[in-house]
Amino acid sequence: MGIHKKNVVQIIIYALLVAGLVIVILPMIYMVSTSLKPNGALYEYPPRFFPDLKEITAENYLYILKQKKFLVNFANSIFVSGVTVALSAIVSSSLAFVIARFRFFGRRLLFGFIILTMIIPGTTMIVPQYELAVKIHAINSIFGLIPFYVAWVIPYSTFMIKGFVENIPRELDEATYMDGGDVWTVYKNVMIPLAKPGIASVSIFNFLTAWEEFPWANTVINDDVKRTLPIAISGFFGQHQFTQWGYVFALSVLSLIPIMVVFISCQRFFVKGLTAGSVKG
Amino acid sequence: MKYDRKSKLQIALLLLPGLLIFGIFTVYPIVRLFWMSFYKWDFGSFLEQDFIGLENYKTVLQDDNFHIAFSNTILYTLITVPAQMLIGLAVAMLINSVNHVKIGFRVAYYLPVVTSWVIASLVFKYVFNTEGLLNYFLVNVLHVTSQNIRWLDYRWGGMTVAMLLGIWKGIGWNMVVFLAALQTVPVELYESASLDGAGGLQKFVHITLPGIRSTILFALVMLTIGGFNVYTSTKLITGGKPGHDTEVVLTWMYYKAFSNGKFGYSAALSFIIAFVLAILAVVQFRLMQTKDEG
Amino acid sequence: MCNMKKMLAVLTISSICVATVTGCGNTAPAKAASNIGVDEADTSSQEVTINFWHHYSAQSSENETLNNVLIPKFEEENPGIKVNAVSHEWADLHDKLLISAESDTLPDVARLDSAWIPELQKMGILVPLNEEMSDFQDVSSGLLDSAMSTAEIDGKSYGLALNTNTKILYYNVKMFKDAGIEAPKTMEEFVKDCGILSGTNENGQQVWAYDEPGLSGWNLCPFIWSMGGSITNEEQTKATGYLNSDKTVAAIEMFAKLYKDGQITGWNSGDIPMTDGFGTGRYAMLLEGPWKVAELAGAYPDFEYATAPVPAGEGGSISVLGGEDISMFSSANKDAAWKFMKFMTGEFAQEEMAKCGQIPCSKAALESDTVKGSDFAPYIEQLKTAKSRPTVAGWSEIDSELASAVTEVVNGDKSAKEAMDELAERVDELLTE
Repeated sequence: MGIHKKNVVQIIIYALLVAGLVIVILPMIYMVSTSLKPNGALYEYPPRFFPDLKEITAENYLYILKQKKFLVNFANSIFVSGVTVALSAIVSSSLAFVIARFRFFGRRLLFGFIILTMIIPGTTMIVPQYELAVKIHAINSIFGLIPFYVAWVIPYSTFMIKGFVENIPRELDEATYMDGGDVWTVYKNVMIPLAKPGIASVSIFNFLTAWEEFPWANTVINDDVKRTLPIAISGFFGQHQFTQWGYVFALSVLSLIPIMVVFISCQRFFVKGLTAGSVKG
Repeated sequence: MKYDRKSKLQIALLLLPGLLIFGIFTVYPIVRLFWMSFYKWDFGSFLEQDFIGLENYKTVLQDDNFHIAFSNTILYTLITVPAQMLIGLAVAMLINSVNHVKIGFRVAYYLPVVTSWVIASLVFKYVFNTEGLLNYFLVNVLHVTSQNIRWLDYRWGGMTVAMLLGIWKGIGWNMVVFLAALQTVPVELYESASLDGAGGLQKFVHITLPGIRSTILFALVMLTIGGFNVYTSTKLITGGKPGHDTEVVLTWMYYKAFSNGKFGYSAALSFIIAFVLAILAVVQFRLMQTKDEG
Repeated sequence: MCNMKKMLAVLTISSICVATVTGCGNTAPAKAASNIGVDEADTSSQEVTINFWHHYSAQSSENETLNNVLIPKFEEENPGIKVNAVSHEWADLHDKLLISAESDTLPDVARLDSAWIPELQKMGILVPLNEEMSDFQDVSSGLLDSAMSTAEIDGKSYGLALNTNTKILYYNVKMFKDAGIEAPKTMEEFVKDCGILSGTNENGQQVWAYDEPGLSGWNLCPFIWSMGGSITNEEQTKATGYLNSDKTVAAIEMFAKLYKDGQITGWNSGDIPMTDGFGTGRYAMLLEGPWKVAELAGAYPDFEYATAPVPAGEGGSISVLGGEDISMFSSANKDAAWKFMKFMTGEFAQEEMAKCGQIPCSKAALESDTVKGSDFAPYIEQLKTAKSRPTVAGWSEIDSELASAVTEVVNGDKSAKEAMDELAERVDELLTE
């Protein structure tokens, strides 16, 4: 009897999960199906969720792929996000390591201040950051985006990785010092390998942050060939109220691919990485 | 513990890059913004600015459009934060209790999080437009209403769509965070509670909730900050229309700064938001601590 | 295990690969940009790049003509000058110009909505061409006087007229035929036709008689002026008594009533976009400019429509003067910029742009066969009575206040009289600022 009841419960739970899942991924399926319809059929009647089989077309994708500038936009986004992730991983992990392990003057104050800046929404700093970008000649340059993105993700990354570092037993540090290691060796041989899941999980967030960032890139970048993908996508909404939704969704689907690849290939770190940061934090 | 010269140098070198980037690109702009908030600073006066004390703060606080934007933001936060947390926690508990395809569910439920705000906003705008798929479904398939609902044309409709998007996009993050927290609750507690004859609800209230309390606080604080950070969705879905009825604090700040050129105004607005968020964070921590003692 | 080191390595490598790709894309402008004002460079091979910002839509035929026909031709004729053309969305261009002015990163030349000229002039960033360019008279005498006046403030010219336009009535031929009516000639007929044309189609979908995609001056002025109302006095110093005059209020009331009765729409976020709604028979009429011809031909090639003048009211048939000027900023490389401006307003460029639906301002181009053989005649007729929106520095802000006030009226939050009284008071303040 008990086993039977357990099975029923399991089936109900699966049913609930699948039902929820359908609602959650419905908008994404709609996006894909719309991108496969001919551009003119988007205000069709009656509106349909799926296009007819014989109607399915790759014309929207071909249009996008034929335009060199979208490929450049794509490359810009990969470059900016990739460098942002790499730099912030290095910078935040070293900050987190030092703050977690060493006592020095102003340590708590520094950490508190880093956390405090999280409450000032990034977009509000856009005016002074723009002035700064002008001073350092970062206007209209994709290199100009990177340091700002890294600075934005430092607080959250440092906070999460610090939680992770605190879970690493101090004995491992001691052992390394005993063997004649120094601070640098501990960072390199103990901290980096053991905090990997934490670093990986914040890296996914950081990649996403840079990949999808809109207001700052929209403000700073002017030239077509220097735009990142979100700006290119919103560029379809020109004057005269005329939007080519087929192209919009085709480009959107393409722009989801890299982020999916990054996420799915590293998703196993996720729960582990978040456990330490959020639970201990 | 005393550090020798070499260690001190290495510690400093590890700190340096982070502090430099953080100092130049975050701290300096904040200080500058704070300074700007006390000056009459707009396009007409960008060559020289007059110190006007708290005048900008006064203008912001008396501005009707700011009141609308602020109450929209508060409403957005009040609704999306608990909704995301509740649904996220529920999904996490469901996933935690199944034996197979856990990872599959986890990945799939997380997909909306990795969909960018720009794309998600455009999809929602397309689905919810007056002639869109959702209205067709409601009118012609389900027959729950005889007329198309004009989701995007009114303050509450526009905010509803933005909030639905916020919740949809936030469930995955909450699910993962709570899933992580649930792993840390010792299984023995549940087992001994079962032996004492405790039901599912009792276990949830007395074991699960206390066990993940610090995660709840963490999520609460992060999501509140996130709620105040909403920008791209309202900007792309309604653009603040009609009038400025669906403006949130950040879209309003951006509009004042870059369309009207009122930099001083928007700087003051930024600090008002930060101040409110700081108070909220303190209150949230206090609340959670009281529960702890009681 | 997804190896952290591996992941970082992959990211770094892909970033570097990509950097090489982007590098290719960027070489030309980057190289050119670095040459601006480089003194030590060998003067014989010195190359100048001028940055040209515009708001031809990124996917438009205008943009293609600019990049594939005009700029190559200009660069060929003017060795040593390169043009870096940047497309912005209309509202973005306005905002970016203001930001760039603040931070001294303006382009050399820009195509400006003529309504922005007073605001930019007040900021002191536009070059007075008649004072600084010795051959200004020769150039300006080749362009339409009415269009040149949009760039004139206190006797100084801050731009060259690049293209002119105005809106006329577009209507769906089949819907009018089915209803047995002709295009409305007066505002009374327009209101009556709105009642006849709106309703539902054979699919049970709502049909609106008229679409107006916004509620700003560009959208409302044809109605206000044709019905005898106005925005300000002649001197553009006062709005009270004009913006809240009985006739202006009556125009807004008419608009609000038509909306309330479900006969017009278009400015709401959830509405069908103009071109799609018109092309699929959901909107029967529009007021639009010459660019609509190319858009409709591209998106709805089989759709049958016709045009007519703006319906006349007490004030006549008065449309709103649109059009763009090409202006130079004070930080520009003036010689090269002036050459480019002369080229863009010259006969060749004007004729090429006419093929994309831009009405030329060059008198020579207007006489060309391209223009004579085009469908510009109704616009050129409407232009004779078209008026320009107030040419005041605070126009952008006035415009957005106007849109907010009328939004409240159409949504029934305020009466037209009440909203316009308040607005007039506010605009009076903005006019004196």
